[in-house]
Amino acid sequence: MESIIERIEREIAAWTPDAGSEETGIVRATGDGIVEIDGLSNVAMSEMVLFDATFDRTLAEALKDSSPIYGLILNLEEDGVRAVILGDAAKVHEGMLVRRLGRLLSISVDESLIGRVVSPLGEPVDGKGATGAKEVRPIEREAYGIIDRSSVNTPLHTGIKAVDAMIPIGRGQRELIIGDRGTGKTSIAIDTILNQKSEPAATRPICIYVAIGQKESKTAKIVAELAERGAMEYTVVVTAPASAPAALQFLAPFTGATIGEYFMEQGKDALVIYDDLSKQAVAYRQMSLLLRRPPGREAYPGDIFYLHSRLLERAAKLSKEKGGGSLTALPIIETQESDVSAYIPTNVISITDGQIYLEADLFNKGQRPAINVGISVSRVGSAAQTKAMKKVSGKIKLELAQFRELEAFMQFSSDLDADTKKQIDAGRRMTEVLNQGRGVPLPFEMETAIIFAATNGYLDTVSAIDIKTVEAKLQDYLFREAAGVLMAIKESKEVREESEKTLREKLDAFVARHLTPAM
Amino acid sequence: MIDTYTRLLEKTAELGDEQAADAAVTKLILHLKSAGHMKMLPRVVRELKKVVARRKALQPIVEVAREEDSAAALLAAAREGVVAEHAIVNPALIRGWRARGAGKTVDRSAKRALAAIYQKIIA
Repeated sequence: MESIIERIEREIAAWTPDAGSEETGIVRATGDGIVEIDGLSNVAMSEMVLFDATFDRTLAEALKDSSPIYGLILNLEEDGVRAVILGDAAKVHEGMLVRRLGRLLSISVDESLIGRVVSPLGEPVDGKGATGAKEVRPIEREAYGIIDRSSVNTPLHTGIKAVDAMIPIGRGQRELIIGDRGTGKTSIAIDTILNQKSEPAATRPICIYVAIGQKESKTAKIVAELAERGAMEYTVVVTAPASAPAALQFLAPFTGATIGEYFMEQGKDALVIYDDLSKQAVAYRQMSLLLRRPPGREAYPGDIFYLHSRLLERAAKLSKEKGGGSLTALPIIETQESDVSAYIPTNVISITDGQIYLEADLFNKGQRPAINVGISVSRVGSAAQTKAMKKVSGKIKLELAQFRELEAFMQFSSDLDADTKKQIDAGRRMTEVLNQGRGVPLPFEMETAIIFAATNGYLDTVSAIDIKTVEAKLQDYLFREAAGVLMAIKESKEVREESEKTLREKLDAFVARHLTPAM
Repeated sequence: MIDTYTRLLEKTAELGDEQAADAAVTKLILHLKSAGHMKMLPRVVRELKKVVARRKALQPIVEVAREEDSAAALLAAAREGVVAEHAIVNPALIRGWRARGAGKTVDRSAKRALAAIYQKIIA
């Protein structure tokens, strides 16, 4: 009690009345989370304002509900300004005083955010109290220029065989995950976060998962899964649920990028997942229409491309002079009826450095992840792929594409020559090898060993149906019997001659022991 | 068009020339009649009323906690650029005064100070 009194007395003694005046405006009209304000003639675009609920109330009333309500200036007009309310819009009323805060929308960031779930304004929503983050950063800023960047040269392993082998992602890259509803887009993102656990702590990327317009139950489930698997130790979750105002859903990805940039500038690697940008675009469209900006294609505003390009351009691999950190972005886009030629998908495809395209048909056939290898691509990731993975994965993509063509052809012809049949069998086997359940990302060295076994004929005697069982046995066997060679691959990031020799011996032993003719 | 007509009449009124304002209204009515847009007129009036209300809300105002502080408060407010003819007594301020006008607010009230201390302590 005494300490409280002491603290208050200290504050009173230190208090001095503000010497100057502050710029204020008056709420002219409000509705749908948008406010028209009279005054504030010097306010800047994207500046924060405070709706002062205390001004026209008595002190007792004001202290009862003293939570601040912020706004974000988005339209500068001839006779006033328009802003979006970042909070409970019901508390903002006509005639309310609006104070100019003189700073762009900012959040507090530092290491204390790790393991926390925060709102787009950086406020904790996980019930664990204040984050205590100290460094204040504006959430909108210009991306790094050419001089400050270096080329993508370090891989970011997702732990998903199909991705790491055929569509490799580099640290600092922007790789789009695109597909219909329920095709496993979020699963790829979450598996990627989970897989970072297998990275050494020094090089492990800090992961930021941004949930935009998601059901709160889904986000809670994801957070629980990440916590259970120990992934919250290096993860920050930013959530703007479906129930949040459109303004917060629009801001959430920028908050994620700001948090990621903080770690990037510390020389660390960061991974940010925007789940998903379609919902952000919808929120921005809603805001823009309410702000009376002219609608364009699909009623999106004219600057929808700029919205996504300025966000994704913040992903970067910094030069050594700038600390060498990186920010990898995995934006997610949800398509409707597999239509990749819609406005938002084409925009984001053109901005990113490649895309992982998930197909509902493949998903329904049981392929996991349901990646369409034909139209999935990584434009810069191959430069970052490890020598080991490059060596073993080689022509998988081409062979699988040929297999898909043959498979289609097979529907019309029943008589096939032996070579074609062999090719089809090999394709089916490889498809099965690349099949991987949700939540079981594999360490990079294990992926390499499995793909090595599959591409070097060690699994040729196994039928496609049995691949899953055999692969499980092989993984178990390699963990027990080939730990040394796996460690060598992990450390050197390549399959050297001696490692290859040992691996072959181990695989021969496995074939002899487990793949009996009866199999 | 309603916005344009409203703005036109607003600008004319700002000139302070009664005759010019009358002429502008007459010409506007004639123009609307000839164009068959007379139904716009009530909406123009509504918009003009809004402008008046908005201006009233933005008029300089000085509030004091106690009547006896009025003179000093008006003087201090004028020094800050808010010129008002008289002060309004608002006991909710507890002590001190506050002034609003010309797009700014000067708040030297105890209420503001106490609220600020409260915010600082609970933050």
